[in-house]
Amino acid sequence: MHFDLDSEQRDLAAAAADFLGGSASPGVARGLLDDAGAAIAPGRVELVKSGFAAITVPESAGGGGGSVLDLAVVAEQAGRVLAGPSLVTFARAAVLLDGDDTRLAALADGSLAVAIHDGGPVLDAVGADSFLTLAGDDIVIGSGTVTTRDPIDATRGLADVEIGDTEVVAAGAADRWRTARLVGQVVLAAEGLGTAARAVEVGIAYTKERHAFGRPIGSYQAVKHALVDAYVAVEQLRSLVWWGAWAADHAPDELPLAAAAAKGQAAVALEGAAETLIQVHGGIGFTWEHDAHLFWRRAKVDRFLLGDDVAAFDEVARIALAGAGR
Amino acid sequence: MDFDDTPDEAAWRAEVRGFLTEHKAELGDRGTRLDFDPEVAKQRQALLYDAGYVGVTWPVEAGGRGGTPMQQAIIDQEMARAGVPGLINLIGIGMCGPTVIYHGSEDQKSRYLKRLLRGDDIWCQLFSEPASGSDLAALRTKAVQDEQGDWHISGQKVWTTLAHLSDYGILLTRTDPDVAKHRGLTMFVVDMKAPGVTVRPLKQMSGGADFNEVFFDDVVIKDSERLGDVGDGWRTALTTLMSERLTLGGGGTEIGVSIERMAEHVADRIVGLPDERQALVRQDFGRAYVASLGMRYTGYRLLTAISQGNLPGPEASAGKLAGTTAARDLADLAVRLLGDDGVYAAQSDGTDTWQTLQAVLPGMAIAGGTNEVLRNIIGERVLGLPAEPRADKDKTYRELAAAGA
Repeated sequence: MHFDLDSEQRDLAAAAADFLGGSASPGVARGLLDDAGAAIAPGRVELVKSGFAAITVPESAGGGGGSVLDLAVVAEQAGRVLAGPSLVTFARAAVLLDGDDTRLAALADGSLAVAIHDGGPVLDAVGADSFLTLAGDDIVIGSGTVTTRDPIDATRGLADVEIGDTEVVAAGAADRWRTARLVGQVVLAAEGLGTAARAVEVGIAYTKERHAFGRPIGSYQAVKHALVDAYVAVEQLRSLVWWGAWAADHAPDELPLAAAAAKGQAAVALEGAAETLIQVHGGIGFTWEHDAHLFWRRAKVDRFLLGDDVAAFDEVARIALAGAGR
Repeated sequence: MDFDDTPDEAAWRAEVRGFLTEHKAELGDRGTRLDFDPEVAKQRQALLYDAGYVGVTWPVEAGGRGGTPMQQAIIDQEMARAGVPGLINLIGIGMCGPTVIYHGSEDQKSRYLKRLLRGDDIWCQLFSEPASGSDLAALRTKAVQDEQGDWHISGQKVWTTLAHLSDYGILLTRTDPDVAKHRGLTMFVVDMKAPGVTVRPLKQMSGGADFNEVFFDDVVIKDSERLGDVGDGWRTALTTLMSERLTLGGGGTEIGVSIERMAEHVADRIVGLPDERQALVRQDFGRAYVASLGMRYTGYRLLTAISQGNLPGPEASAGKLAGTTAARDLADLAVRLLGDDGVYAAQSDGTDTWQTLQAVLPGMAIAGGTNEVLRNIIGERVLGLPAEPRADKDKTYRELAAAGA
């Protein structure tokens, strides 16, 4: 049994942290809310240039030829600094375009700025010029008319999209669409892991420094235990994200359960961590200037992406009950 | 990343599984009740010990086989898989024995350890008292040395699991009230059949009686039965508590009931319910199932650390905390699904699996570290949060006792 990251993955995480932390931050996320014209960080161009976006694109198409686990390791780091666009978009596109080396190469070199359309608000629609969607059982790609609305979390680039003319990428590929969505759930959970872990860290740091009634507030059990509960949920999430990513790479039979479990736990753990972060800060945590609400915004939006947590837990139950007694 | 055994681990697993399969009839079934026939349980432990599957991590000279924590974890997994009941002397193996190994004399080791592993003698751990549970170092049981060097013990212990069946116990006492409370403690091995020892079973809310009150009325213990130095009992007790984590390993195992069994129960019961009720059941079950999966895979991370030779640290406390919470939610749903039978202690056919589990779980959130103590351990030792200021610092035990603390 070796259920842990290896040294190469740890190096990858460090490199991703360096790159992403160089531009993205909660401050940038706040800037996007203050000024609709501000640029997301690191942004699509830089993210593609770094090579991290195309980790799961095969080497033959100019990608990294890496695993979903590799991508999840990077996604965790992206989540820590509220980076955008989301690696979920690239992870799904890489699966959907499987075998189409021309488009995969365009995804990897940045000439194809794609987002995935599930029927509702589209993640990373802002800045995308092409949209992949499911039409009947076919995966199709086409242009789209993007209508932005007032965002809760501007780093997600969400918008309503009306699809224009399309062409078929893969016919009779509903299974592939489903797989791409499951991989997307795992990567989304990995980003949520990073965001939640960072929120807990920020909360811990503050409660060690802030004093009330003559001692650090982190010494009070009411405050300490709230942070511990958030931390425990984050560590359970870490285990489920690793399992989900491993299943995506090695055990497709386990992926539906693992992806739904990771998705559901991510929604709950991130919401818990973000709300705890605000609460332990008191009044300052409720201000626009403080970073806490940027983690909270991510939590309140991400819980609805790729299905909500209620749907994820329902799916877990359906799968577990279908397998009962076997 | 992989979930596979190494070749050595696979060979060990096959050997253990083969033995358990071959002897399944003698080893018995993991039942629904937590009480058991002690004689049957002792025979079971002897059978497993003679085959080499008890105390594998103990040194050879202590009666073990000098094996690895991973080997122990595989035995735990295979016993759970085969439905073989747990060992009766678990507290002896996990806590008392290691304390004797670290702090006992050669004479004590040769007299006690092998018999403990084999289940010939049952052991208990006499730490908690009516006035000192989580605050263990506040204990009052007195040990006074006479001119011959013998120790005279008076006081009371409580929540002592297995005391009613025990031959020996490790006993933490106060030998010096005039120093800080952690400093005046001393540990002994006590003969539970000695004159002056009275054991009174305590009936638990679940109806069982696994734990006891134990009274000591001028019980005499030879100085040669002391474990560790006089006044060094706190350090000795820490050995006991740390050994528990190592010996029991336990990564990837579940508390109370297997999630697969729970899924079967839900699958059986959900079909008769209206659609809208089914949706609610799935929501509850899905959340509890994810909690169990999270625990299982977090356990695999712990096992990975163990298999690489690392000892579980304080972060392992998170497993018990999360497990207790998950088990509570599962038991709640399981009983709810019994419908009208859920208001009775057993179903009309006499089975009481879920009601029993429901009644046992409140104790799990207290025993072996309350949820609150575990949160303090994680908060302070893993997250690095500051400890609560203490009102007992820089005071002797006698001063604290006089103040009613």
